[in-house]
Amino acid sequence: MTISHHPPEDLLADFAIGALDAAEQLVVGVHVADCPRCRRFVRAVEQLAGASLEAIPPVAMADSAFDAVMARIDSRPKAAPQINEAAGADPELTDLPELVKRCKIGKRRRVAPGLSMRPILLSGAGPSRAFLLRAEPGTRMLEHSHSGTELTLVLHGSFSHDGGRYGPGDFDYGDDEVDHRPIVGDEGPCLCLVAMTGDLRMHGLLGRLISPFVRL
Amino acid sequence: MTTGIRAARVARWNLASSRRGALRARVGVRSGCANRRPNANVDWAELIGRVASRGDRAAFKALFEYFGPRIKGFLIKTGSNADDAEEIAQSTMVAVWTKAAQFDPASAGAAAWIFTIARNLRIDAARRAARDGRLGQESARDDEADPNLASDLIVSRVEDTARVAAAIERLSAEQSTVIRLSFIEERPHSEIAAALGLPLGTVKSRIRLAMNRLRELLDDAT
Repeated sequence: MTISHHPPEDLLADFAIGALDAAEQLVVGVHVADCPRCRRFVRAVEQLAGASLEAIPPVAMADSAFDAVMARIDSRPKAAPQINEAAGADPELTDLPELVKRCKIGKRRRVAPGLSMRPILLSGAGPSRAFLLRAEPGTRMLEHSHSGTELTLVLHGSFSHDGGRYGPGDFDYGDDEVDHRPIVGDEGPCLCLVAMTGDLRMHGLLGRLISPFVRL
Repeated sequence: MTTGIRAARVARWNLASSRRGALRARVGVRSGCANRRPNANVDWAELIGRVASRGDRAAFKALFEYFGPRIKGFLIKTGSNADDAEEIAQSTMVAVWTKAAQFDPASAGAAAWIFTIARNLRIDAARRAARDGRLGQESARDDEADPNLASDLIVSRVEDTARVAAAIERLSAEQSTVIRLSFIEERPHSEIAAALGLPLGTVKSRIRLAMNRLRELLDDAT
């Protein structure tokens, strides 16, 4: 896998310090897991965070803290193996990245012609939603922009827009200044992992007409 | 572009959660050198190794006394309230004991490793709080599986480690300080300007330059 589109540095830094909400954390995490270049960047920020941890003035712990910690260590239960039955049987879900398989994934629903999605149910707070978006080969999305931000990671297949071609592992950052019209590659369906805040805004007469029916 | 995105993102985060709003405090800039620390003569990695290999309580106590208050101070400085910080710092130290065998001194510094544990526990705590907060109206969703933190699965490779260390080494003291203050400690630009003696207008470009420089240094094939 050759990755040519990466998340912006500040997004990676927010990932490294844990400042993203659950949906964004998932999408950036899946990219980073497969991208040595971004992994090094995240590691570097973690190292610098370790330096901050030592540099910031300490604050005394509660008097009983050490005893409380030792009591918890001495009484800790044996770790139970965790099995995720959610990803078990569904053949559509077996070929997903490990991090996504660990999530609870909702039912598929049609979004528009050639386009369907499955929501990813995350327990965390945060303004963004995560979902798997599947587009049939050759699908041409309507010209659109976003009222918020959209983080897109390609898992299979590809799409292209003004920014270039996006294949497996590539990361696309869209915000409300981006107006694009992606075309899905011909080689097969394109499956993307998306974290999105706000809504899609469709442009053009047709877009405005069908917009109420596009449920994203 | 990236600083603009950052500004928007931070604003959004502040709306979404009050966690980060309240944490702006005095900037205590140190030299920015990652290696300079008060107890530079103590080999924390070795102590973690002793906890892992033989459950050495004296070694653990030394780790606890050094890192516990620093985790708590770091968490408070970056937005947690004192009670949450105490709880997360204690849980972090429990995890330092239970995960000690997973610590690989060749792949990360002790402080960076402990930071990642505290970070993950803080994320877990925030998610738990969010879930508990809406249990009333949406009890059906309380069994949602959480994807344990992404970074747990991201296995560092040895060659990465060397490159990361070399890049941080080559970053200037000002640049590593800028990254720490802006991205890790999340100080407002005005505080960073004051701390570094720079005009406010220069701070944004210095932050961008520092981030780009870090990317460049990491990309250098050496």
